[in-house]
Amino acid sequence: MMTSQQKLETILSRYEGVAADLIPVLQDVQDEFNYLPKDELKIVAGRLQVSLTRVYSVATFFKMFSLEPRGKHLIRVCLGTACHLRGGQHLVETVGRRLNVEPGHATEDLQFSLETVGCLGSCAQAPLMMIDAKYFGRMAVDKVPKILKPYKQ
Amino acid sequence: MVNLTIDGRAIQAKPGSTILEVAKENGIFIPYLCYHPALKPIGSCRICVVDVKPGPPRPIPACATYITEGMEVVTDTPKLAALRQELMKLVLINHALECPICDKGGECELQDLTHALSVSTVDLDAVKLPPNPDYVSRMVERHPDRCVTCGRCVKICRDRVGAMAINFTLRGYFTELASGAQPLDCEFCGSCIDICPVGALINKQFKYRARAWEGAKTEMACSFCGGGCTYQAHTKNGRILRVVNEDSVLLCGRGRFGWPVVEADDRLKTPLIRDNGKFREASWDEALDLVAAKFKETMEAGGAKAVYGVGSPRATNEANYIFQKFFREGLATNQLDNPGRYNYVRAIKAMAEVFGTPKVEGVEAGGALVPAYNSPLVVKEGGQGSGFPFVLGKLADLSKADLVLVVGTDVTPELPPLGWKLMEAKENANFRLVLANLRKTKFDRYADLSLRYKPGSERVLIAGLIKFILAENPDWTPAIQATGLDELKESLKKLTTKEITTKTGVEDAALKEAAALLAQAQAPAIVFGAELLSQDKGQQTALALADLFLLVGKPDSPGSAMYPVAEKNNSRGVSEVGVLPDMGPGYVPVEGSDPGPTLEEVLDLLEKDDPASPKALYLLGGDLLRWLPNRSRVKKLLKKVPFIVVQDAFLTDTAQLAQVILPVAVHAEQEGTFISSTGQLGLLNQALPTNGVRPDWQIISQLGVKLGFALKYVNPKEIFRELARKMPLWAGLAPKLSAPCPAIKAAVTGKFAPFEADISLPGRRPYTLIIGKSLQHSGSFTTHHPGGPMSVTGKALLTVNPEDARSLGLAAGEVVKVISSHGEITVPVDLSAEVPAGVVFLPEHFAAPAANDLTLNSNLMRVTIQKG
Repeated sequence: MMTSQQKLETILSRYEGVAADLIPVLQDVQDEFNYLPKDELKIVAGRLQVSLTRVYSVATFFKMFSLEPRGKHLIRVCLGTACHLRGGQHLVETVGRRLNVEPGHATEDLQFSLETVGCLGSCAQAPLMMIDAKYFGRMAVDKVPKILKPYKQ
Repeated sequence: MVNLTIDGRAIQAKPGSTILEVAKENGIFIPYLCYHPALKPIGSCRICVVDVKPGPPRPIPACATYITEGMEVVTDTPKLAALRQELMKLVLINHALECPICDKGGECELQDLTHALSVSTVDLDAVKLPPNPDYVSRMVERHPDRCVTCGRCVKICRDRVGAMAINFTLRGYFTELASGAQPLDCEFCGSCIDICPVGALINKQFKYRARAWEGAKTEMACSFCGGGCTYQAHTKNGRILRVVNEDSVLLCGRGRFGWPVVEADDRLKTPLIRDNGKFREASWDEALDLVAAKFKETMEAGGAKAVYGVGSPRATNEANYIFQKFFREGLATNQLDNPGRYNYVRAIKAMAEVFGTPKVEGVEAGGALVPAYNSPLVVKEGGQGSGFPFVLGKLADLSKADLVLVVGTDVTPELPPLGWKLMEAKENANFRLVLANLRKTKFDRYADLSLRYKPGSERVLIAGLIKFILAENPDWTPAIQATGLDELKESLKKLTTKEITTKTGVEDAALKEAAALLAQAQAPAIVFGAELLSQDKGQQTALALADLFLLVGKPDSPGSAMYPVAEKNNSRGVSEVGVLPDMGPGYVPVEGSDPGPTLEEVLDLLEKDDPASPKALYLLGGDLLRWLPNRSRVKKLLKKVPFIVVQDAFLTDTAQLAQVILPVAVHAEQEGTFISSTGQLGLLNQALPTNGVRPDWQIISQLGVKLGFALKYVNPKEIFRELARKMPLWAGLAPKLSAPCPAIKAAVTGKFAPFEADISLPGRRPYTLIIGKSLQHSGSFTTHHPGGPMSVTGKALLTVNPEDARSLGLAAGEVVKVISSHGEITVPVDLSAEVPAGVVFLPEHFAAPAANDLTLNSNLMRVTIQKG
């Protein structure tokens, strides 16, 4: 089992260590740790010779990055125009209520993260949500418990 | 010139200006929020939009549009007004309406603009954002809910200061100004505060003390280092509220937040006389009479040479000038020196050896009516000068250099304005920065080439650069008329490439690259500082650098010059006005009498109990015990002097040994001039009452008069007039201008002087300690409470490389014992990879632990580190 220090070193060893590597390094860190841990960001800033504020600026700008631990499963509920019209908002609220989590955050047991997105590119199936890489189209609030069940521990 | 019309008015303007700049110059009002003259155009607020023909069929921002020939600009139409109003509403949509308690009230650009654009209601609605104020950061309070996201602070921090400590996070409507991790961890220069158009960044020292418009403004030179910045002190009821640089906004932390030193609790308020081993308060008359009587007594017993004086790099030119006059004319001796002997004077001596002492011809007394603090001398047609002052660089020129070599100096703490100029120079695409330092500094991030050499090997490195330049260019002819190149080559002949790379630890490829850059440069500059000069062979290192400059320098190109750091506000001035044993005002060698002993020689005389050793010391500030190397020796020797009189604002370690202490005025309490490190004349104006203390010049004058010397002066203006008449080097000088005057044609010649290309780092102990400067402090002046610098850096920490810490088993904050051949101290450690393994760094400013307990004759030494 690698320590987090070793994990980070493995990631950094794949890059030249210049400022332009910032986004790819952060992507790898996000994949590896499932979020961007503070201490690791400090090391990344030092290695790439960019300021810590720059790292935070980039890390908070892109939605793919998260500064707090993400849950094991990522639930993305679409609030694009079509989904919005077909009750996407109700869907988010239902999922949030069932898992006791606010959009943008993770559940206490770190099993789920709930996020809203602008469009999932499948408007014909609105309203739509995704869990990890799987799509769930033509959603209705009463389908939520059944869908969530297999993902719970 | 470019011809254009703005609102139908025909205007001629400089090419390369923006529409907004031209409009401002011509008094045409274009509203704006994000533009600031100290920054490059940002273009984020879009409030300055104007219609331009020929141009796109939509309004464009005036701040980011450069003028072109025949351009027609319209600044005010109903459509533009509507656009601006709409933009303002968007800015105001989530703005906290706290104007009554916001410190910016009264000088808030958003308030003014809201009024100017008649925005009375905001009929838009949006999600409320959390205010997220930051009350915990030191010096700076942040209110993101008052931020208008103009980006000025981000730009000044990134492009001018180079710190990159604040940035925008999130995006769109949710964009928030943040530091990444609270609290703010930065240089604490506070430049972001004064560039903020609104109250998003607040000066904690100023907060709630007054409304913005209440302070009376007095412009003065900053007294905290040799940078020569100018600021306005805002005062109310005899106290400073804050200081502001209205021009470039930039100040460093000690300049902006260091002023409360004037109110320090431990300031001396009345003269003190030692009675039975204890100090008692005395009146000015009593103290001055006693000093006069003691001086007379000493002179009668041991002759005039029995009194020795040490001038002050903190005191004004006027005080130092009459101080040397006190000795040269009053006592007819040359028994004086200044503490720069241990750093800046070494640079002068070395440069004088290579470039000669100054000679100026073709200047004469000008008209009768000269404004105060202007040199009465004017440069005649054909006036010319030679000698080392003509290779000393001016601050404004540094950004014109196309290559800067910084050797052994952390520019940021040593002289912040040099750092700002490097940031400016960086904007030029052809600019190259070469850093040579044994530890990592802020500018490594911006360097094109970093040479990390082994401790003490600077001269080998410079010799290597010289050798590689000459090897690659066998027919090299210096741009400066020079002699002695063959002798220099001969002296470096024995030094092999292998020796250079092993001794310096720098690969020859890197050295060759640096040499090639230096050889190609059209305007190379060399920056070096006190950290280098304070080594025992500092003068030799300066000699090596002077040789290097003679080899590659092109002083006819602006910016190509040498920049030795004169660390204190008047380190350069004290030498220029003649507080030296061998040279009078203007570096004129003394004639008709023997040069006196240097400060180093005086200590040797005292050690030998030589009959020629001084029996009385007159110390103008300059805490010798704190600042001279080998503290225990200095203490022992000073104790041998029967009578010491100290003029200082504080009861310093040296003052504790004195018989009489005369309390002096500090920065805003007095009037006078300084010469900055880069030759600029800074004018100090009195903004505060003196409350019983007296300015240095007045004390020297009064003491002189009591001794029957011709030293009666009414004010410093009169002294300056007399002084400047004797200074051909200062011809044409006036406040904010730099000497020597560009009208004096520089005729620089040089003679290569061989130097010792060796390593000087005695001892066998495992670690190398370097004693240097910390960012927030300047000498010990800033180490008195209250004051911003102490709240940021309140104590000395020994910087240790994390690897070394691991092998020593040390954690951050743990206290260690540092032992040198000369003493030991205990100090907590700080872990940082900025020092390489095997090297530790200690700031010099603090009384405890006193860094010079460890030193013998150099700020670089071998030490042992023990846990606990």
